[in-house]
Amino acid sequence: MIRSSLRRLATVAIAVLGLGAAAAAPLTAADALKVAYSDWPGWVAFDIAIQKGWYKEAGVDVEFVWMEYVPSMEAFQAGKVDAVTVTNGDQLVMGAAGKSSKAILINDISFGNDMIVAKAGITSIKDLKGKKIGLELGFVEHLMLLKALEANGMTEADVTLVNVPTNDTPQTLASGGVDAIGAWQPNSGAALKSVPGSKAIYTSKDVPGLIYDVVAVSTESLGTRKAEWANFVAVWPKIVAFIQDPKTKDEAVKIMAARVNVPAAEYGLLLPGTKFFDTAMAKKAFMPTEGLDSVLGSSKVANAFNLANKVYEAKIDPAAFLDASLVQALP
Amino acid sequence: MTDVPNESISSRLAKLKSQPVVLGIDNLGKTYPRPDGSTTTALAKVSFSVHRREFMTVIGPSGCGKSSLIRILAGLEDATSGQMLLDGKPDSGPCPDRGMVFQGYTLFPWLTVLKNVMFGLKMGGMGFDQARSEALQWIDLVGLTKFADVYPHQLSGGMKQRVAIARALANKPRILLMDEPFGALDAQTRAQMQAYLLQIWQNVNLTVLFITHDLDEAIYLADRIAVLGAPTPDIPHGHLQEIIDVPLARPRTPEQFTSEPFLATKRRIEGLIHKRVVPTMVEPLPMIKLTQVGDEVV
Amino acid sequence: MAERWFAVRRDLSPRRQTLLTVGAFVLPLLVWCVISYVPFVWHPLITVTNPGGSSFLAKDMMIDRGMFAAENAKVVAEGKPAAEGYRSNPVFLPPPHAVGRALYTAFLTPPVRKGEPWLHESLWHSLTIIFWGFTAAAIIGVPIGVLCGTFDFFAKLTEPFVDFIRYMPAPAFGALMVAVCGINDGPKIAIIFIGTFFQLVLVVANTTRQTDRALLEAAQTLGAKGRHLVLHVVLPGILPNLYNDLRILLGWAWTYLIVAELIGASSGISYFINQQGKYRNYDNVFAGIIMIGMIGLITDQVLAILGRVLFPWQGKPPGKLGKIILACVGLFRRKKVAV
Ligand SMILES: Nc1ncnc2c1ncn2[C@@H]1O[C@H](COP(=O)(O)OP(=O)(O)O)[C@@H](O)[C@H]1O
Ligand SMILES: [Mg+2]
Repeated sequence: MIRSSLRRLATVAIAVLGLGAAAAAPLTAADALKVAYSDWPGWVAFDIAIQKGWYKEAGVDVEFVWMEYVPSMEAFQAGKVDAVTVTNGDQLVMGAAGKSSKAILINDISFGNDMIVAKAGITSIKDLKGKKIGLELGFVEHLMLLKALEANGMTEADVTLVNVPTNDTPQTLASGGVDAIGAWQPNSGAALKSVPGSKAIYTSKDVPGLIYDVVAVSTESLGTRKAEWANFVAVWPKIVAFIQDPKTKDEAVKIMAARVNVPAAEYGLLLPGTKFFDTAMAKKAFMPTEGLDSVLGSSKVANAFNLANKVYEAKIDPAAFLDASLVQALP
Repeated sequence: MTDVPNESISSRLAKLKSQPVVLGIDNLGKTYPRPDGSTTTALAKVSFSVHRREFMTVIGPSGCGKSSLIRILAGLEDATSGQMLLDGKPDSGPCPDRGMVFQGYTLFPWLTVLKNVMFGLKMGGMGFDQARSEALQWIDLVGLTKFADVYPHQLSGGMKQRVAIARALANKPRILLMDEPFGALDAQTRAQMQAYLLQIWQNVNLTVLFITHDLDEAIYLADRIAVLGAPTPDIPHGHLQEIIDVPLARPRTPEQFTSEPFLATKRRIEGLIHKRVVPTMVEPLPMIKLTQVGDEVV
Repeated sequence: MAERWFAVRRDLSPRRQTLLTVGAFVLPLLVWCVISYVPFVWHPLITVTNPGGSSFLAKDMMIDRGMFAAENAKVVAEGKPAAEGYRSNPVFLPPPHAVGRALYTAFLTPPVRKGEPWLHESLWHSLTIIFWGFTAAAIIGVPIGVLCGTFDFFAKLTEPFVDFIRYMPAPAFGALMVAVCGINDGPKIAIIFIGTFFQLVLVVANTTRQTDRALLEAAQTLGAKGRHLVLHVVLPGILPNLYNDLRILLGWAWTYLIVAELIGASSGISYFINQQGKYRNYDNVFAGIIMIGMIGLITDQVLAILGRVLFPWQGKPPGKLGKIILACVGLFRRKKVAV
């Protein structure tokens, strides 16, 4: 009896090892395009096309993988997915760490959904002087906070930063351990609602274009499968139209809400904080201009920020992280 | 009662001593290292022989090295000096030819009585069916057939020790070593077990070396008694004092406990053991009036 | 003599044991009810029902009681109507009935999104992650632990390193595991494995060292040597303790699940809890936590009963359920013989 169960256990062990090996197999051209996406309205929107089967219609086989934001970047860096949804600033961070990629699609700019939320009694950025702020160091909210401080004639030295995973920011603010937090929706909203008297003292609406949300494709994948990626990009305008058309807007919100498992009414409130980019807007934003009106200009700001804050030290060229050709080719 | 002529006893003993030596103990010594780097010599220069079919007991006060001796003989401990000979050949290490019964039963709790007794047989490479039927015979011999399929935790101490004996005997050892096997039993069970053991010894072709610190037990069971002495100022280690023939007829009966030869032997051993016990000065204990204690209790 | 409630190392009567066991669950529930339903206990916030003349307060806003009072005093002083509201707890602590409802609806609500698993499917997925991660850790860890506990050679060779690595937080290996095992179940299983394996080796080694030396000696005098000593004495001797070790370590595996399921593709009960937490649905969060607790409790109880069936020599009564299992095993055995 013992012997037969030992044999069974051995089979299990081999199966486990085999499972790991199979999972570790590299991506090949025959597979679907793998896109890691995460909980942000601009990216949750992909679910509309997924549910409607628009990618199949467009003749491209895409597999979307739902992840947490930071793990999605890790999976992309490890070469486990072909593309990932990120902010333009975080795309540079991955690039500096050795993962070259191209943004081929602009989903949106954050238009209020990224926030600095302060506890009751703090009503402006100036009030933050000498206060503790919890956010994920080196990522987008850090950048936005520095922009906010700069706009108010302050620097990072005027505040104390505490590294807090974005998911944990609402609890951290509620616990009283920090005076303010930096987070994006839904975390920023959760912080506002769960901390009595708290207030968003600065949001991405105050610096539109600081945070572009894009689809970054690994350079290898784009190089070898460009035609498929072109089909992928071509679906996006349809999604934006579906969200913006008053006739289909409710259905769009319903589908998106289902992705994140919340009531549609609640999810609808998040949409105004995200400005979706249609083809015309995207074409314009892909122009190589200075300033926050273009991805390149925004990325240059992010790059300067990242270098100044020693997020990375590598000299990188923000222009090398963009490939406008697919969007420019759209009608 | 025990009016057996002395000659028949002495001739029996003579016959016994003319039997071949099963276990030879030659100048055996054991020294333990101490944590501080020095050493304790538990035992030194012990030599005696156990003959075939003999029942020999070893007696001595606590700490005189009885356990050290028998553990060396069982192969569980290496001698620091001297050697042991089994059937004339130097031997060491544990081996089923020198069976052992411990004070603490040491039955395998996860095995039934039957499987416990089968353990050594299977280790010796015997097939299941044969091991089973042989084990059942041994279990029958110790009178536990009804308990063959019972786990040790369901047995009394005496029964456990009978299983341990059956288990050791199943291997057909050349000699059975027993280290105070009945030390943990109550007086009545102990007397019963002594009688059982003698019966088994009678019915089976068996040589026994039995350690005890109980004088009555040592005399009642033995043909000969090896008396070990505790360390003294002159001899700072456990050592063999004397080997005494027991002038009692077999089969042994409880009446012999009060017989003159028995008592004489007992006095002699007592003399050997006790002559070395020097009364020592100890710190005087504080005096407490009993009434005080009594008052406290009430 | 009346039975005493506090007697050093004595079992209470079965009736009292049951009573206390029930109490162990009822008392915390009672505390939770009191905190949730008795308005003057805790309830540090005010939920605004009518902002009155205040410009700062809004309907349904939750605000600190002190701040609400201060604001109201100000409003009243300005001659405007006072704000109204009721005392409430922070959203992080939902009341029992909400959690009960969440538990109930969670299983009955079909997933809104096409292709999304039902909650019980998510739970099942989590169970398989735990199962594979823990089984792999046990299959590899138990033999190593037994070797370490038996032979000093292996102990000195592996234990210092294992001791070193077990202090490393398993979740920190998340990114590496994604790189090695992909984004699906591989890295999750790997995290559970890393989280339990190293502890397991040390615990098993320690348990193995507790093998009764006297039994080893007895076996040696009966002719057992080398690997037979390990297989026929050490192993069966430690089996019940080993089994209990694994029961305890299985609990550890669950604590790693919550991080494991958030690396790679999000999945399972932890994702459910995490996602609901993000959107402040704390009734669902609590429901998820309670589900994990119940699964843990039930598996542990079943394993405990199974343990008594598996190791009858320990002399612990198998209990009612155990007897049923034994009967089933007996039926099974008889059938096998008949075939
Ligand atoms: N493993 C050991 N290490 C060190 N000293 C020991 C060890 N075993 C026994 N001794 C010492 O050897 C002496 C004899 O012990 P032992 O053989 O157990 O005597 P007995 O069984 O007659 O009581 C004692 O002084 C004891 O302290
Ligand atoms: Mg002793």
